[in-house]
Amino acid sequence: MKFGTRWPPIPAGILIGISMLLAFVVAGRGIGASGAMTRLVAWVQHGLFPRATEQSAYFGKYFADGSHPLNDYVVFLLVGLLIGAFVAAWRCGELRMEVLRGPNITTRNRLLLALAGGVISGFAARLARGCTSGQGLVGGAELSVGAWVFLMSVFVGGWMVAWFVRKQWI
Amino acid sequence: MDIAAPFAKTGVIEATTNLWLAIPIGIIFGYALFHAGFTDSRRIAWAFYFKDVGVPVVMFSAIVTGMVGLWGLSLLGLIDISLVYMLPTYLVPMAVGGVLFGVGMVIGGYCPGTAIAAVATGKIDGVVFIGGFLIGSLVFGDFFPVWGDFYNSHYLGAFRLDQAFGISLGATVLLIIVIAVVGTISMIFVQDFVWGEKNTMTKARPFKKLQGVLVATALAIGMIFAFFPTESFIDDTVERPFYIVPRANMIEAAP
Repeated sequence: MKFGTRWPPIPAGILIGISMLLAFVVAGRGIGASGAMTRLVAWVQHGLFPRATEQSAYFGKYFADGSHPLNDYVVFLLVGLLIGAFVAAWRCGELRMEVLRGPNITTRNRLLLALAGGVISGFAARLARGCTSGQGLVGGAELSVGAWVFLMSVFVGGWMVAWFVRKQWI
Repeated sequence: MDIAAPFAKTGVIEATTNLWLAIPIGIIFGYALFHAGFTDSRRIAWAFYFKDVGVPVVMFSAIVTGMVGLWGLSLLGLIDISLVYMLPTYLVPMAVGGVLFGVGMVIGGYCPGTAIAAVATGKIDGVVFIGGFLIGSLVFGDFFPVWGDFYNSHYLGAFRLDQAFGISLGATVLLIIVIAVVGTISMIFVQDFVWGEKNTMTKARPFKKLQGVLVATALAIGMIFAFFPTESFIDDTVERPFYIVPRANMIEAAP
């Protein structure tokens, strides 16, 4: 049986689950994507305003005791994620620069919405202490009440605005 | 017998080795995200229109795999669950964050992990989304005093569904598997009903057969889990002060 480029959803999900399980077994913690990005902005801001960033109520902890914000598990994970997706796309001949959008939206508007969605998600992921992977999947597997509330809320929020941005996608 | 896993916390491997091992784990994660079709923002957004329900099905499968693996290894005595970091629950901030996150997801078409994977495959909308995501994270951190109190409110400790429902952990595992299976089947039904057969995910017979076998296996494993009381997974009837702070102490101390 050849899976091709797009695998059926259950085997694909199982492989994501296996990567999460490996993190549990090896590191005693879950996977995640958003934490590394918070560390990245903290690091960049520290380059510009070192004192203010070290005293920041939120970013300060990344610099406690002279630690480097990028010397962390989630950052290494993120490097692997980039490599993994690149290799998979390269093997399938799917590496190309493009803007993905529905048939009824211009490239410019799609990019503006991508930016707006990014800002909202970036804020929301910090408020929820994680994103789909770090909070939703890992917490979901750990049977965390907060993670399941988060997962259900994500779909509630998505459906609330789906109608208004339908032209972007369908 | 000493329990070996999690390796980084029982001293089987060094902290530095653990960091480097995050890279192959990330590679598997990214590789799977691509093959799940999640480097395409349209496929992610379509989930909210039932045009392609791959997103929730993949998420269900990943959660069930991780859940059965984690608690199964604990049941077999192969992993010391008290050394695994359990995510704490901050109920209302997580609900509000979740709603906002869903809004961002359907507007932007990605979530952080999928956007990073999309960047690696050259998707420009993914790059822009990540730019926005970094801005959003920065705003949250720099204006933290504004929402800091809310962020730390409604703390329930490492609070699990079985504790919330008052049922055994094994039964909860079975319940989640049943929800995942029923959810998957009903969403595929809605997708076919609304959009017709042509838009549906891989329908080839061998795939159907394979997925059917996987679903049946998950249900069978869930049935076995349901027979074991919670203590057999956690090795203690009282809630140990693992992870963070015992839940009981926290509720008293909550502001």
